[in-house]
Amino acid sequence: MRLGLRLALDRSFTMLAATAVIVLALALLVLLVPMVSRGTSAVFFRGTVEFRRMQLALYHRGKPGQINAEIDRATAARKRIYDLVDQFKQGIHTDDLKVQLRRIHRQLGQELQERGLTGQDYARLRTISTEIRDRLERALDTTDPNEVRVNLDYVLTFSINPELSSTSAQAYFKIAHQLRETMQRMDLAKRMEYASALRELEGILQELFGPRPSSQLPPLLRQQYGATRWDQAQVLLHKLLYKEQWVQQDPDRPLIRVETPRKTLFAGTSLEELFDYVPRHIEEMLLPRLTVYWQFFVDDSLESHTFGGVGPELLGTILITITAMVIIIPLGIISAAYLSESSADWLPIRIIRMCLNTLAGVPSVVFGLFGLAFFVLTILPALGFGARPSILAAGLTLAVLALPVMIRASEEAIRAVPQSYKEAALALGAGPVRTFLTVTLPAAMPGILTGIILSLSRIAGETAPVLFTGAVAMGPVARSILQPTRTLAYGSYDMAVGDRIADLSPHNQYGMVVILVLLILLLNALAIMLRARASNKLRGHA
Amino acid sequence: MKTDRPNIVQMTPIQEIITTGILRPLTSMTQPNESSVSCTCSIIKAEAFSLYYGDNVGVKNVSMEIHPCTVTAIIGPSGCGKSTFLRSINRMNDLIPGVRTEGKLLLDGHNIYDRRTNLVGLRQQVGMVFQRPNPFPKTIFDNVAYGPRLQGIRNRGKLEAIVEQSLKAAALWDEVKDHLGQSALSLSGGQQQRLCIARALATKPRILLMDEPCSALDPISTGKIEDLIEQLRTTYTIIIVTHNMQQAARVSQWTAFFCLGELIEYDRTERIFSNPANKQTEDYISGRFG
Repeated sequence: MRLGLRLALDRSFTMLAATAVIVLALALLVLLVPMVSRGTSAVFFRGTVEFRRMQLALYHRGKPGQINAEIDRATAARKRIYDLVDQFKQGIHTDDLKVQLRRIHRQLGQELQERGLTGQDYARLRTISTEIRDRLERALDTTDPNEVRVNLDYVLTFSINPELSSTSAQAYFKIAHQLRETMQRMDLAKRMEYASALRELEGILQELFGPRPSSQLPPLLRQQYGATRWDQAQVLLHKLLYKEQWVQQDPDRPLIRVETPRKTLFAGTSLEELFDYVPRHIEEMLLPRLTVYWQFFVDDSLESHTFGGVGPELLGTILITITAMVIIIPLGIISAAYLSESSADWLPIRIIRMCLNTLAGVPSVVFGLFGLAFFVLTILPALGFGARPSILAAGLTLAVLALPVMIRASEEAIRAVPQSYKEAALALGAGPVRTFLTVTLPAAMPGILTGIILSLSRIAGETAPVLFTGAVAMGPVARSILQPTRTLAYGSYDMAVGDRIADLSPHNQYGMVVILVLLILLLNALAIMLRARASNKLRGHA
Repeated sequence: MKTDRPNIVQMTPIQEIITTGILRPLTSMTQPNESSVSCTCSIIKAEAFSLYYGDNVGVKNVSMEIHPCTVTAIIGPSGCGKSTFLRSINRMNDLIPGVRTEGKLLLDGHNIYDRRTNLVGLRQQVGMVFQRPNPFPKTIFDNVAYGPRLQGIRNRGKLEAIVEQSLKAAALWDEVKDHLGQSALSLSGGQQQRLCIARALATKPRILLMDEPCSALDPISTGKIEDLIEQLRTTYTIIIVTHNMQQAARVSQWTAFFCLGELIEYDRTERIFSNPANKQTEDYISGRFG
């Protein structure tokens, strides 16, 4: 009976423990899988022709001939869209047309002067031109079809005027004809609506396919290229096909997102065709292809990580970590040796040990502020370096942060070395320093390596301490350790909090995080390997 | 303590050992009678030597002379100061905080506890083998070469010669000569202890201190170590602390009996074991206490 109870208890405990482990594993999986998959997409993804165009133009990668051929093919496929847009645009963008009208008027004036017309003739023709312009503007402004028709008819009566033939004024009549056609096709009352919808559509088209081949290049680099990634293109395509609106249905409730097919906005117009054409031919227009962008690890980024990779961030993280480790390893070992070899009951030692334990638990942002006040603003300027964030200052700050961890682990390791080793060395005539260096230290090496692993992992992933002491979100690649640098952890933090860009290129942010995790894993694996080798050697299996 | 060691190793009867024990010192050195034991015949001399751990007595008022090229056994119950005395000869007690000494402990007429004593030099002259085999976690070669390297010998050939010589002297050469590069920790306990002896011998000491060198070993290894001590006696002065009375009788020529930090009796081994002058000694040897 009692045995049965104990067995049941035993089993339930085992079950509980197993459940806890499984839950943990699942949580880890849930956390890691999306991160890793998105991060991996920074390197492995379907790149579009825009990506290859960008790579060729900005990084000089790829075969120009092949890529230009691809661009030509894509341009050919895209031509239909632009034709549709242009056709629809006539009579919609009244402001454009007005500007055009004024330009024609000016041009006509110049032409007349060049022809040597003077006095009355000139004044008369100018008046006609002004009249035509005003009538056309009135036709553009009104929504009443009758008024438009009257004005246009009036303008077109001048088209047979021989004085105006073969002059710039012919452009007036072209516009007038177009307007008449447009008017027959659509409801003028909806003209404003169409205009704003068209503007939005053109914006999306530019995001998707880049600027139109003949148009002026926009100043922002990120607007000079369309969707470089296929997943990005898919999102934009959806945006093109569906208009997103936030609708209030109930004043007390939050707004509701409603997606309306954009096609319905242009129902009955010539542009309707576009919404069938684009999804059907999107692959021809973007030519997606599986791309391995391994240069992600080395490339500098452009335009706040819109393009390019995380090379400077990776380099900066490694540099800061190395700087910190160069300080931590010798200092940690020496301190640990002192602490372990000196008597534990001595009051100063007890105080030091207490301080170390407290320091190990201090939040890292405190170390960041300390580093700013102490290293950046005090020590480095006193040594003749500028009072500005630098890799050196960040390394020093991180060293202070991780030193307690390192010292504690090393001290444990040194204490664990059998006294008999030390006795043997001393009995052979070695001094205390010699004994430590030749016997104690090698025997404590596996434990010290554990300390190194722990502090390394802590350092590489820290954001707060480098925030004030050595990290920048943008800026040139550091040329010396006296310059600030970008780091992976700070970069992903910055993208997460400050930048709309993170939405546009989530792969970049996740890529940074995944690389950071990979870097730490790699360093740890290396240290664990070294540790295994060291302890094997000690155990005599080497 | 009555030690009836299992008769696994072929053991020579105590009497026989004692006889050979008498014969050896007679041939190798002058008769150590009271008159002639002056500077010529003693290598280590304690003069009213005391050692305290804070307020606790380690060794109290010990006066004795140890003769060169003999094996001196130190016996006594646990906590009687045997090891303390042994370790004070190469000043290993210095590691313990709060140690202080009184009296003199002379090596070749120089006080070991003199402030000017060169510890490194002292320890090179006085080698030590510990209770538990404690080879370094290094290769066999590096273990033996550790001492010579400390002395500044860097020449590989020279080191190899010393290592070979030391391992041969410790009767280990034949067993390890083919894998000197292997970790010392891969050896058996007995081999490790002989390696420690070889390591101690490599610094070319004159005196070898052994602190219960066989207590962690099996009888076969113990036998080998004892044979080794027998051989080493011709070149080295050996002081051995042991709990094993039979071992003391087998390997030593002189025996010192310590009790409660004091030297009770010090005499030739056969006299201690056959006809001790002190009642306490007799009681201890015959197993009535300790």
